Order: sequence, then structure tokens, then C-alpha cells
Amino acid sequence: MVTLAIAKQTLEDMLRRKILLILLIVAVAMIALGPSVGFLSPRESSAVLRSLGLAVILLAGLLITVLTGIQVIPTEIERRTIYTVLSKPVQRYEFVLGKFLGGLFTVFVMLASMGIVFLGVLRYQEGRFSPDMVMGVIMTFFQMMLLGALAIFFSTFATPVVNFFMSFGLFIVGNLSSVTESLLENKNVATRAVATLVHYAIPNFGNFNIQNKLIHPQVVIKNLNMFIMQNVAYAIIYSAVLLILAIIVFDRREV
Amino acid sequence: MHQATRRKLLLALLPLAIAVVFTQSRIDPVVADMHRGVKTPFAGLSTEFILGPLLGMQQAVAGLLWVRADEFFHEGDYDAILPMVRMVTWLDPHNLDVYITGAWHLAYNFTDSSERSDRRYIPAAQRLLEEGDANNPTVYDIAFELGWQNTDKIKDYDRAYYWYKKCAEERKGADERGEMTKPVPMFVWHQLAHSLTRLGRIDESIDIWRKALAMSMKIVREDPKDYSKRNVRDSERHNLELMLKRKYSRYTHEIDWALDSKLPSTTDPNTGEPSARDLYVFKSAEEARQKQEQYRAVGQNPPALSVGQPRPPAVQPPWETAFDVRPTFTADRVLELKGQFNVGDGARVTIRLHDENWRPPQLKAFTFTIDQSVTLMQDQHSVRQGIWGRKIDMSKDPKMYSFTSDRYFLVFEFDPRGTSPFVQDRFGWSGEGMTDRKYLTVESQKTPPNRILRKVYRITRAQVLRRAPITEKDVFPADRYAELQRQTP
Amino acid sequence: MAAAVSIQGLTKTYLDVWTKTEIRAVDRLNLEVEEGEVFGFLGRNGAGKTTTIKMLLGLIFPTEGTATVLGKPIGDIGVKGQISYLPEEAYFYEGMTGWDMLDFYARLFRISEPERSKRIQKALEDVYLDPSAWRRPLRGYSKGMRQRTGIAQALINDPKLLILDEPTSGLDPIAHAELRDIIANVGRQGKTVFLSSHQLPDVELTCSRVAIIHQGKLRTVGKTAELTSGDTVEIVYKGGDAALLEKIRKVVGAGEQSNGLGRVPGVAPKDTNPIVDLIRGAGAEIVSVAPHKRTLEEVFVDTVMKETGS
Repeated sequence: MVTLAIAKQTLEDMLRRKILLILLIVAVAMIALGPSVGFLSPRESSAVLRSLGLAVILLAGLLITVLTGIQVIPTEIERRTIYTVLSKPVQRYEFVLGKFLGGLFTVFVMLASMGIVFLGVLRYQEGRFSPDMVMGVIMTFFQMMLLGALAIFFSTFATPVVNFFMSFGLFIVGNLSSVTESLLENKNVATRAVATLVHYAIPNFGNFNIQNKLIHPQVVIKNLNMFIMQNVAYAIIYSAVLLILAIIVFDRREV
Repeated sequence: MHQATRRKLLLALLPLAIAVVFTQSRIDPVVADMHRGVKTPFAGLSTEFILGPLLGMQQAVAGLLWVRADEFFHEGDYDAILPMVRMVTWLDPHNLDVYITGAWHLAYNFTDSSERSDRRYIPAAQRLLEEGDANNPTVYDIAFELGWQNTDKIKDYDRAYYWYKKCAEERKGADERGEMTKPVPMFVWHQLAHSLTRLGRIDESIDIWRKALAMSMKIVREDPKDYSKRNVRDSERHNLELMLKRKYSRYTHEIDWALDSKLPSTTDPNTGEPSARDLYVFKSAEEARQKQEQYRAVGQNPPALSVGQPRPPAVQPPWETAFDVRPTFTADRVLELKGQFNVGDGARVTIRLHDENWRPPQLKAFTFTIDQSVTLMQDQHSVRQGIWGRKIDMSKDPKMYSFTSDRYFLVFEFDPRGTSPFVQDRFGWSGEGMTDRKYLTVESQKTPPNRILRKVYRITRAQVLRRAPITEKDVFPADRYAELQRQTP
Repeated sequence: MAAAVSIQGLTKTYLDVWTKTEIRAVDRLNLEVEEGEVFGFLGRNGAGKTTTIKMLLGLIFPTEGTATVLGKPIGDIGVKGQISYLPEEAYFYEGMTGWDMLDFYARLFRISEPERSKRIQKALEDVYLDPSAWRRPLRGYSKGMRQRTGIAQALINDPKLLILDEPTSGLDPIAHAELRDIIANVGRQGKTVFLSSHQLPDVELTCSRVAIIHQGKLRTVGKTAELTSGDTVEIVYKGGDAALLEKIRKVVGAGEQSNGLGRVPGVAPKDTNPIVDLIRGAGAEIVSVAPHKRTLEEVFVDTVMKETGS
């Protein structure tokens, strides 16, 4: 209950942030303007509309998640409200979890809003629903959940500016997993060992990108449902790891 | 937090970390499979295009680049499109239209000032399509385009057949749910049949038309109200009928087409297949006598032909074409041709001028840069009333016709397989009814063998620059030329 | 009476990263706060008041020493339900209404409905917040209204111990006076109040006992009345000349003369008679001999100056 109260307060607080609302408005406008990009063939326009829509949702989701993740805890310290909260019968882990959940709810609300607009635009443009796009938004949500947990973890010891670059940097590196993966077969044992460590230790954000499959019907994912479940499991387990670390660090944090 | 709690939490991290590694090891191969063919090019890209791929938005970046490429199309900046095509297909190797449009662009849009295609781009166009097909091995679209380009532009019917067959038999289309379950459209089967016809494999072609008709019959039975599907079925029936009649007329007994068109079509009620006409016969002694004259004209003893008897096949006796051409460079790099060719109007002669060492290159990887030093000119001209003539000015396009080589082949060709049906009605699909005193070449390595007409000159740069005239001494053995073309340089 | 707060040898040191020197924010602090008293915790800015409070609340961790709050070691979650805290210059959640903010804090105390609404209403009434403002966002509140809402936040759990850190700083005189009354009122309800402040008149008016902390060390602790009750007298006389003043100054080290009146402040009991004798001996007239009561401010300045001087 305490955790949820903190989560609810965080969500309301975040939804009042102008920067997040501006991001949402810009993203929604971009999605709505997608069909104005003229095209040669219906298939091309469908592919571009979908890829642009999903990319806008991903990009806006990314900014919203990072801005939320790096802020939720430091803002409390800056406003000194954390003193009023932690001086109450609130366990520190409840505080961390509440902040994480609040941020997650925020990201969910934002992604869901953009997703609904996106589906609406597709429906209007093509005259039929594209339920498979929901899958893309869901995958983005879990990708963002992992990124949010990462930002929360960093925020227990790093300043928001440092956190911003660390979270973004790791998101980029985590998207380049094909590079580290290719190094797994390197002939050099040391390179291979380092690559293995890096490849599995860094949260793999790239694996959530199924735009490829969603835009091009011919791309086949063997057992798509399984693939999605595995990615969801990955996001949840890795987030749990990050949250446990965040709780351990935050427990000794002086505020 | 107590020390004990902290220790427990730290211990819990271990199995969780193992679970993370395990899950990722399950996901990785699937993702690798999905992203096969994706490359992330950085060179020459502006920031937003670099950032996009870094953040996992390759497809959107590819889409934006393609929008830009489209603008280049409209601006006519054709050179700028090529690198865009390369980047877009690297970023998003599943965007079929980029391969198809890009290859079309390469094969058709680069021309000289007289609208002759720059055929040096064709291997690149083919390679691009092949790469696209390899990246999308379940979809029919690119394989179909490969078949079409080989038919329409390159006139390599063997390769066209190879791709249409792959396309028809192995590929699928996307259904409404985005699953690759839909059979390929019937026009793929039609093109497959046409490609077999172009190869002279008439019985196989007829089989494909039969198969296609049977499929369409089934489709119409399932959805009788769809007008377009009935249309497809009817056109298949018509094509099958035409093939059967042509085969009959050309190789068994010549059909009187004028009479045929007045008779009602006959259809097998079970299969829906049209049946070939029964024999046509000589209706007058004069008709029979004229036919016998034709045999004598090519030095053959005429068979006994009389009124009421069935006609011999249309390809008998073979027709003497009297094919010849005299090329002259009337000015520096300006070629004038005067030719004779005793066939029906509309038969096309292919003209090709290229470096002595030029062979159709086999590209291992797609590249949009071409060897600018290569000269390769190809044109064609139709015959009217037995003669033809053409002026080909290559002096205005030094970029395409650099003439840096010392020696060139100048080739004139007529291939009955590529010609129109009414010419084929006289010669057969593979030139069975065609003979020529000087320039007949039988391509016996093909099955069935193809009889083509080919005259080859081997000329020098000096002759191209009109420092020396071209004479009949420069004529080069056509067999030897074909042999050289088959060798890799 | 049991101790609401008991502090033994509490020390907090910080390492200055740049100079690599150790800063002692709180230095071996010993302090007892009795249950039911309004206790003033005085010190200049940076004296270590807030650091001490944060340690008591478990927000930061002591380097050395221990403390108990309501009989339990610091950081005990059970005890936190019985204490409350108003930090210095908390901005709270600007977008929330006063009511919603209290609702949020009440949830943190695990108070469920319908009790929660009752408590919120009572707390808001106790701090005299205009009911028309209850459902308005905090960003439209004046500083005084905010601070009242802050106190209400601290009252929501009906705490045994209130810890208030500079609750009146930055308020206009009227808001200031009102808030002081609210705090005094809370004290009268039998709650223990630990009031950290440098608003000395407030403390003097509201606190029964005070401690003065300077540079992390406890300097003085005692009942307010005892600390301010002076044991000196001030002698005023009429007439006399400069020679008399000179003689007086030799004895007590102070004194001044103007408009025919002489004034000798801070005369110790043992010096009273000799000074009176001096004045009378010089033919001057005694106007008054009055015991001198110090203000807390004087006590504070004396204590702090003495330390700074030494």
C-alpha cells in the first residue's frame, strides 16, 4: 500500500511535468503527420508509416523513460520531500519500488496514449485495424521498463546529468549487441572472454526491436509468442536485478 | 536493513543473473535470424541517421532515407539515388520496394542522349535483386522482378525461367494478417509459362498453362463472384488454346487462322481446356501448287500435295531470310547501318557494339560503381518490307562510349525466340522454319537447339573513329564469337 | 518522566573530498529530551542542528555514538509511526492540493479510510488553514499556508514526538506569530516537540528547555527560565563625575554616563555594596538597583561569542 501510494504520487507528479507533456504532444503530432509522407507504392507507404510510427513511439518513449528514471528520486531530494517521506514509517525499499512503479506507470500511460493514436492513424489510413502493432508497443514498453530500472539504479548514486549519459550510453551499447555477439566467435581467447562478459552483462536492448517483423511480413520469427515471452521475462528478471542493486545501494544512501 | 537481509538479497542476485544470461542466450539466435542482412553503415550519414540505428530504429531511418531518394528521383538526380539505395537496403534489408525500384532504376534509367540504356549497370541491377532475394527468401516479389528483368531487359530466358520457377514453386505472398501463407499471384505462373515458351520448351509451357488453369478453376469455384478471378481463368484458357493451336499449326498441320477465327471455340467440359482444331486442308489446287513452289525455292523436293489433303506444318519448308547488314562509320563514332532481312514487318534485329574483351560480368557483391572505361552499346531495329537502316551516333556520350579499347565486336543478331508470334508462326519457336545462306548459327548447346542469325564484325578503334573503312574482311566467325563470349576474361 | 529523545556521544564527520580534511558536523553530542516538553534546539546556521535531526530520523547515519527515539534505536520503523517531521524549507509537491498532500502522507502512515479523511480534516483545522484552500494546488499557497500545511502533515499521525526544523524561517510577522501559536498549542496537547530554530524569541516563548549547539558541540542546556534569569543587577544613579565612573569601571569593568545619569550594568552580588558605597561616597544619588533578566538572545550570543572568542 505504501509502495502504491508512492507510485501513484509519482505518476501524478510526472504527468504534471511540462517537458513530458510536450514530448507526448510532439510525438503524437509526428505520428498523426506520418501519412503526409508521400509514396510510390501502397506497400512502401505502409512500411514507412509503420516504421516511422514505431520509431517515434520508441524515441519519445526513450526520452520519457530516461527523463523520468533519472528524475524520480533526485527530485525528491532536491525538493526535500524525501525527508518527509522517509521520516514516516516507510522502508527504503518501499520508496525505491514506489518510485520505480510510478515511473513505469508514467511510461505506460505515455506509450499507451501514443499507441492508441498510432493505431487510430493506421485505421484511418488503411481502413483496417493493425493489432500486430500493439505487439511493437508492448515490446517497447518492456524495453523501457528495463531502461527505467537501469536509470533508477544509477540514480541511487549518480547525479541526474551523469545518469542521463550513462543510461543513454548503455541503451546505445545495449542496442549494438550484434557487435559483441560477433566478437563471441573471435579467435582471440581474451577478446572472446571480454566479449562474452560484455554481451551478457549489458542489458540487451536490441533484442526487443521487432519492428523488422512488424513492418515486413516476410520476416519470420520462429515461435513469435515464445520470443515475446522470453523478452518479457528477460526485462522483468533483469529489472529485478537492477532494483535489488538499487535497493542495496539506496539503503545506505544518506539523504 | 540488516546485514542478513542484505546478504540474502545479494545471494538472490546470483540465480537471477543466471536467468538473465539464460534468457538472453535463447533470444539472441532468433534476433540474429531476424536481422540477417542488416548492416549499419555510418560513413557519410548525418547525425540523425547515425543516431537512429544506434537506438534501434533502422527501419525508420531507412524509410526517411528512401523518402529522400524519392525526392532525388523527382529532381532527376539519378546518381544520388544509388548510394541511398545501398544504405537503405543495408539498414532495412526487408524493404522489398527499395530493391525493386533500385534495380529498375539501375537497369532502365541510365541512358545516352538517344535514350539507349547504359547496359553496364545491368549486372549491378541483377546483383542488387539477388541480394534482396537472398535477404527475403520467402517472398515472391524480388524473384519475380528478377524474372521480369531477365525477360524484358536482358532477354536471358534461361535465367528468367530459373527465377520464375523459384518464384512460383517456392515463394509465398503475405496474407491480410501479415503471415506468409498466401500462394503467389497467378501472374507468376503465367510468366513462368511464357518463359518456357521463350525457351522453346513448348510442351512444358503448355503443362504450366494447364496447371494454372486448373488452379484458377478451383479458385473460381471457391469464389465464383470474383470477376477478376474469372478473368484470370479465362485468359489462361485463351492462352492455353493459343499455345495448343500454335503448336499444332507450326509443327503438325498449318492452321488457316482466318478460318479458325470464324469457328466457335471448343472446350472440354471436364477440364475446361480448349481442344486443338482438327486438320485444315488445301481448298484449291492453286494453294497446293504454291506450297510446292516454296519447297523448290529452298532446294527441297516438294511432297505430293493436293486438294482435301492436310497442309504440312507452317515451318515447312524453311524460309530463306537473306539476312545481311553493311555497317559504315560515316563520321567519328557515328555508325550507319543498312540491312536486309526477308521476314515479316516488325522482326527486330539487335545491334551490339562492345570492347573485344567485354563479357557479361558476374558480380559477387552489389556495387553501384561501374567501369567507366567499358564501351557497351546495344540497340535494336525493326525491319520493314525486307530492309532496315539506322544511324547510331555515339559521339555525344563519351561517358558511356569511351572507346578506350583497341578492338571491338560489332554484332547483329536475330533470335526467333524473342520475336513476335506472327513471325514465329512462320519460323517456329526456335527458328525451325528459318534458314540463311550466310549467317545461320545453330545454338546446339541449348535444349531444344535454337537457330539464330548472327553477323559479327571485329573492328578497330581506328575504324570507329573513321580513320579506316569497315569491309567484309572484318567479318568474324559467329561460332567463334559465341565461344569467346562464354569464356571468362 | 521517560526520555523522548536520548542522545549519547552522537558524532557525524564528513570527509571534504577536495581538501581531504575531516569536518565534524556533530561532535560527541549528549542530549536528553523529556517526554511532553517543548524543547528548543538552538544554533547558528551550520551548527549541526539539521544533521542531528537527520540522524535521529535515520536519513543519515552516525559516524559514532547512539541515540534512542521514544525508547527505540534510531531508524526503527515502528517508532516512525509515532513521530513526525517538518523539514526546513520543504517545497512539497507543488501540483498537489493541500488535501491530496495530506492524503498521501496519511497513506504513508498506513492510515486507512474513513479514519484518513477525518484525520486530514482535523489536521487542516488544527493549523487554521482556510478550507477554501484545501482543494487548491499548493503552488497557489502563500509561504505561511505552505508551512501550515507542513505542520498539518506532521500532525496527521497524531504523533508523540514532533521534530520541527526551522518552521518559522522566512515568514512574515503575522504568519510567524500564528505559526508560533500553533506550535505552542501542540505543546499544550502533551506532545513532545523538538524545535530546531534560530528564531530565539519564538523559542523563548514556546520552549520549556533549550540546548545550544555550536560548531557541532553542545554548549549549553537547561530550562529556559533558568538560563535567562540573571544573577546581576543594574545600578542607575544621578549626579557624579567622571572620576566616579572611572572608579566604578575599575571594579566591574563597565558603566556609562550621559545626561546626568550613570548606568552600571551586570553588577555581581559581591560588587553591589561596594559600588553603592562608591556612588554614595561621591555624593551622587541612587536612582535604582534592579535585578537584570537576560533575553535568550543574550544567552545565545554570550554562549556562542565565548566559544568563538576562545
